[in-house]
Amino acid sequence: MEMSTKHPKIIVENLKYKYLATDFLALDGISFSVEQGEFIGIIGKNDSGKSTLCQAIAGLVPNFYKGAYGGRILIDELEVKNVDLDELCKKVGIVFQNPFNQVTGSKLTVYEEIAFGLENLGIERQEMIHRIDEAMELLDIMKYKDREPFDLSGGQMQRMAIAGIIAMQPEVIVLDEPTSQLDPQGREEVYQAVQKLSKKGITIFMVEHNVEKIASYSDRVLLLDGGKLIDFDTPQRIFSREDLDTYGVEPPAFTKICRELNLKNAETGCYPVTLEEAYDLLSKEKRGM
Amino acid sequence: MKSISLYEEKGSLLNKMAPESKILYIVVALLLPVIMGSKWVSVGFIVFSACLLLISKVLRKTVPILSISGFVLLTVVIIQGIFRAGNVTPVLTVGPVSFYEEGLYFALGIVINVLNILLSFCVLILTAKPSDIVENFVRKGFSSRFGYVFISVFQIIPQMTETMSTITDAQRSRGMETEGNLLVRIKAFIPLISPVVMSSLINTKERALALEVRGFNAKNKKTFLNDEKKCGADRYVQLGMLILLAAGIVWRIAGWK
Amino acid sequence: MSKNGKSLWSLKFNTATLVLIPAAIGINYLGKLFAGALKLPLWLDAIGTCLAAVLAGPIVGALCGAANNIIYGLTMDPISTVYALTNIAIGLVVGVLSYKGFMKNIKLSLVTAIIVGFVAVVVSTPLNMIFWGGTTGNIWGDAVYAWALAQNIPVFIASFLDEVIVDLPDKIAVILIVFGISKSLPKSLVALYQSGDTIESLDD
Repeated sequence: MEMSTKHPKIIVENLKYKYLATDFLALDGISFSVEQGEFIGIIGKNDSGKSTLCQAIAGLVPNFYKGAYGGRILIDELEVKNVDLDELCKKVGIVFQNPFNQVTGSKLTVYEEIAFGLENLGIERQEMIHRIDEAMELLDIMKYKDREPFDLSGGQMQRMAIAGIIAMQPEVIVLDEPTSQLDPQGREEVYQAVQKLSKKGITIFMVEHNVEKIASYSDRVLLLDGGKLIDFDTPQRIFSREDLDTYGVEPPAFTKICRELNLKNAETGCYPVTLEEAYDLLSKEKRGM
Repeated sequence: MKSISLYEEKGSLLNKMAPESKILYIVVALLLPVIMGSKWVSVGFIVFSACLLLISKVLRKTVPILSISGFVLLTVVIIQGIFRAGNVTPVLTVGPVSFYEEGLYFALGIVINVLNILLSFCVLILTAKPSDIVENFVRKGFSSRFGYVFISVFQIIPQMTETMSTITDAQRSRGMETEGNLLVRIKAFIPLISPVVMSSLINTKERALALEVRGFNAKNKKTFLNDEKKCGADRYVQLGMLILLAAGIVWRIAGWK
Repeated sequence: MSKNGKSLWSLKFNTATLVLIPAAIGINYLGKLFAGALKLPLWLDAIGTCLAAVLAGPIVGALCGAANNIIYGLTMDPISTVYALTNIAIGLVVGVLSYKGFMKNIKLSLVTAIIVGFVAVVVSTPLNMIFWGGTTGNIWGDAVYAWALAQNIPVFIASFLDEVIVDLPDKIAVILIVFGISKSLPKSLVALYQSGDTIESLDD
């Protein structure tokens, strides 16, 4: 059968989840589907279920946390809940907030650190070296290959963590606030890395507080609140919602300015979300005048 | 970051040898004196270990290890020399106290035993990288998950020590007293240690997640990026050790008749 | 602590539990370091082992104790390897007592502390006899040992007293600290080490 975009890559159906020792649903009836290669931003206030959704896509919910689970997530017709984490990690990779805690702590060099997952999966040595080199080149960390993992800066460490995941060649990568604990320079390094992954055709989910970045990278944005899916649409539509602040989300700066100026895209009825878009719109208006 | 391991790469033969050979050496060095029932065997191993460490250029690194036990050994010599039951033959009198031959002789036995343990261990720990020791065990079928537990300690402890100095400085700058009478110092202990304990426990959750998504629990056979640590001499050394051990046992049994 | 899910002697370890072991060893080391820095007359080097035993049960406690001393042995003090036996015993006893509810409040914790202290003494004393002729290297303990020998008290009793002086106050302090810390840990963290394998269904 031919692979076509008509089959969604990921299907989430009525997903519900409750952590152990809690009495509320962290995810409450979430359904959506995503195509191969899409970049999906995830936004919402704290405890809206963003992290839990990330962990559900990566199978950690429920296979690490246990608890109570309902509904299902399908990735290429594979039901996430029924797959062991050490199998699923070949398909879905996840990167967490704190780069420090993602260092395995058992390897003496950056190069060996990236090999960790491949050794566990039993990848043959020649192939292993090939994959590590490729991942390090992509994330631009080859120059640190003989450094001790804990000696890196936050941004370098986070890129090392991403390289460790990329080397396992997953088709989907989930990034749960990958820059929130980094300094501005480290953030920029990670944003650039994420863009490269997206260009390679990897399906990406990213939780991120920087709405400017979400707006410019995302094909579509998931807006969550109280474990429920409020909206799933293009960044333009999501950030043009008048009720956005009730969900604890601020639109990007350009959207705010355009809203003040009442500058809408006539075709879609949405405010622009990036500088380029606002500029295009303004120059069109000028020409129209 | 400073590792807590005392291992050093000097390109020596011992550096190149498999850790198992050195572990076997420890076993023989500790068992043979017991089997043969002679302190002279221990003395022989002490001299041999010292020679091995010397030619591997790490003899000087034994000093911190010896000094930890050195103080205790000193108290053993003093206390046993003076107080041991059965002390009858004074050999040295300093003011009101006398050291007795029997007690000193007993203490000498302890010193020889401890030195043999320390130096034979040094042959391993000063010349083998901890991760090589564990990795070779994993290759031979030891659980890689437990192997991880061992190796990671070597990196986690230096990190925690770093955190500790940060915290001590922070608490001091807030005016916490860390000097003074015993009660003051005991009171200082809790606020010093509890933040690190809390954060390191909370970190374990995230680290566990990060490991699981990198195939930590995979059931297939593992592969290794690095080559196995071993050299041509290993087979002969291991064989030699086993022969030595067997010879000791035979000698002992023959001696009984 | 809680009794849901996992049985006391389960030999199946989830990853969170395994990662707890190196952290516990680190905590042991830190306790020892701080005690040294503050010049306290205690070791305080079993806080991590006891904490792991309280959180994840006697087997994990014992594993922590064993791994702890093997690693000390491989780094700074080869003789400490044999005292792994003492720390294994400590981990086991704290794990079992905690499971039976002996870490619920401060009074019961004190009982635990005294039991643990004596267990440590009973295991350590023969080791002291074999490797050191009965002394501990602690000034106060060894002074008692010397005094006892001078009174013609048998060596093993002298050695026992030596170890009691050293170990009992230490274990009381350790257990009380562990009690304090374990009470203030977030519930979600505690649940991680004690969770069983079952996933409840929310499907209708």
